[in-house]
Amino acid sequence: MKGLYEVNIQNKRIRYQFTIKRNITIIRGDSATGKTKLLEMIEAFSREGRSSGVELKCDVPCVVLHGGDWKQRLDYIHNSLVFIDECNSFIRQEAFASEVKYSDNYFILVTRDDLPNLSYSVEEIYGIRLSKQYAGLKQTYNELYHLYGEYENVFVEQPKKLLVEDSNSGYDFFRKLIVKGISCDTARGKSNIYRILLQNKSDEKCAVVADGAAFGSEMERIIQLIESGRAIALYLPESFEWMILKSDILDDKETRDILSHPEDYIESEKYSSWEQYFTKLLISKTVGTYLKYQKDFINKNYLQEKIARQIIDVFPDRMQKLFVPEKNVESLSD
Amino acid sequence: MLKVFLGDLKDEIYNPPIYFDNQYEDEWITDALSRQMILDIDKSDVISSHIIESPYLGAITPKELSGGVKTLILMANDESGSIFNATACGDNCAKWILEIANRKDLIITLHHGMRFGEGPFEIMILNTGRVVHNRQEWLDVVYDYV
Repeated sequence: MKGLYEVNIQNKRIRYQFTIKRNITIIRGDSATGKTKLLEMIEAFSREGRSSGVELKCDVPCVVLHGGDWKQRLDYIHNSLVFIDECNSFIRQEAFASEVKYSDNYFILVTRDDLPNLSYSVEEIYGIRLSKQYAGLKQTYNELYHLYGEYENVFVEQPKKLLVEDSNSGYDFFRKLIVKGISCDTARGKSNIYRILLQNKSDEKCAVVADGAAFGSEMERIIQLIESGRAIALYLPESFEWMILKSDILDDKETRDILSHPEDYIESEKYSSWEQYFTKLLISKTVGTYLKYQKDFINKNYLQEKIARQIIDVFPDRMQKLFVPEKNVESLSD
Repeated sequence: MLKVFLGDLKDEIYNPPIYFDNQYEDEWITDALSRQMILDIDKSDVISSHIIESPYLGAITPKELSGGVKTLILMANDESGSIFNATACGDNCAKWILEIANRKDLIITLHHGMRFGEGPFEIMILNTGRVVHNRQEWLDVVYDYV
C-alpha cells in the first residue's frame, strides 16, 4: 500500500478530518479528547454502512481491529486503514509487529505505549483536539495535530556535545565536520539515547541528531527529559541518507519529485520504514559514481567543502553553525 | 500511598473501560469524587446515576464516559482487589490518581511514563521498592521498565 488517504467521518454531533500517509500512525494524548469515539464511529460504519447514521469518506476501507482473533481477521484485510483502540494488549506482541512490517495495510494505533518493536516516525504521532474551523452549531469538529511539533528543531545555545544515533557513515560525516570544542559521540542506536542523556550532567547542553523516520518510540521519553529542564536540542531529519538526497548534490529531477511526496513511492509491503527506502534510493542513485554511497563509512568525496556544505545546509540555520565544512579534508580523513 | 508496578503484571486488569462497563455500580457515578473527576476530565455533569450531560455528546450513560474517567472511578471505588492498568488514563488523570492515593492505598500498573508533574509526591515503585518524590527521581527509574 502506498499513497496518502484523507479520512472524513461524521455523525450529527462530531466530525473528524485527517490524513494518513505512512504504514504506522500513533494517536495518543489526554483522556476525553475523542479517540475512542472516533473508533466507535468507524466501527459502526464498518458494520452497518450508511444505515449506522455515520458518514465516512475515504478512498480505501477503514476497519477497526480488536479481540483475541486479531491475527485471523487481519489475514483477510488488505489495502485498508486498520484502526486499533488502546487497551488491546496484542499490539505490544512481537507477533503483531511482525504482521505490521511489510503489511499491505496502514495501521492507526491509539496507544500510550511506546511500542519499541515498531518503527514509526516522529511525524506520525498525533493528538486529537477541537479544530478552530467552524463545523456547526450542534457539531464539533476534531482534527489531528502533531503531538511533539513544538519540540522539533528547538536550539540550545553553544552545546558541548553532539550525540548521533548513527554509528556508521552519518556519525563518520558529522564527527569529521564538527567545530572545535564540541564533542561528537555516537549513541550506537536510538534505544541508547535516553539513558545517555539521563546520565549527562543536568546542565550540560547537548544536541541530538537521530533518524526521525523511526524515532517515534523514543520520542515521549526524550520530550519528558526536555520538559524536566534538560538543555537538549533535537534534530530529526528522516535519516542521514534523506539529508544527502535533500541536499540536491545529485542534481536529479526524479529525486526531487520523490522527496516532494515520498508517500506515493514507498510501498509498505517493501519498506517497514521510510528510512529504508531513502537508503536504497541513495545507493541506487550513486552506484558507479564518485558519490557512491555506502552505509559503513562516509565516502571522502562527501567531505569536499561544497558538497559537505550542501548537506549541512539541510539542517536548520542555527544547527549549521555546529559544523565546519571548510576544514581541510585530507587532515580529517582519519 | 500510590504504589506502581511498571510493566506487565499477571492478572492486572489491562482494559479497565471494559471491566467498568460490566462491573460499575450506580452509586459510584453520583459519588462526590466521581462527579468532580467527570466534570474535570470529561467536562460533563452528572445528572443522575444513569444520565450524564456531555457538552459534545449530549445526554450519555456511564458507559459512554471516557476510558480515563472510567479507570479513575474504578480505582476510587472498586473493592474487588483488582489492579488496574493506568495507561488507560491520559496525563490529565494523573492528579486524580494522586488524589485517590491520598485517600487510600492504591496499587496500579503503568505501561508508559505518565506525567505526574514536578512533585513533590510519594510513589512506590513496586518493581524495586524504591519511593520516588519528584519528576527527576521518577524519570530515573520509569523507563527502565516501560
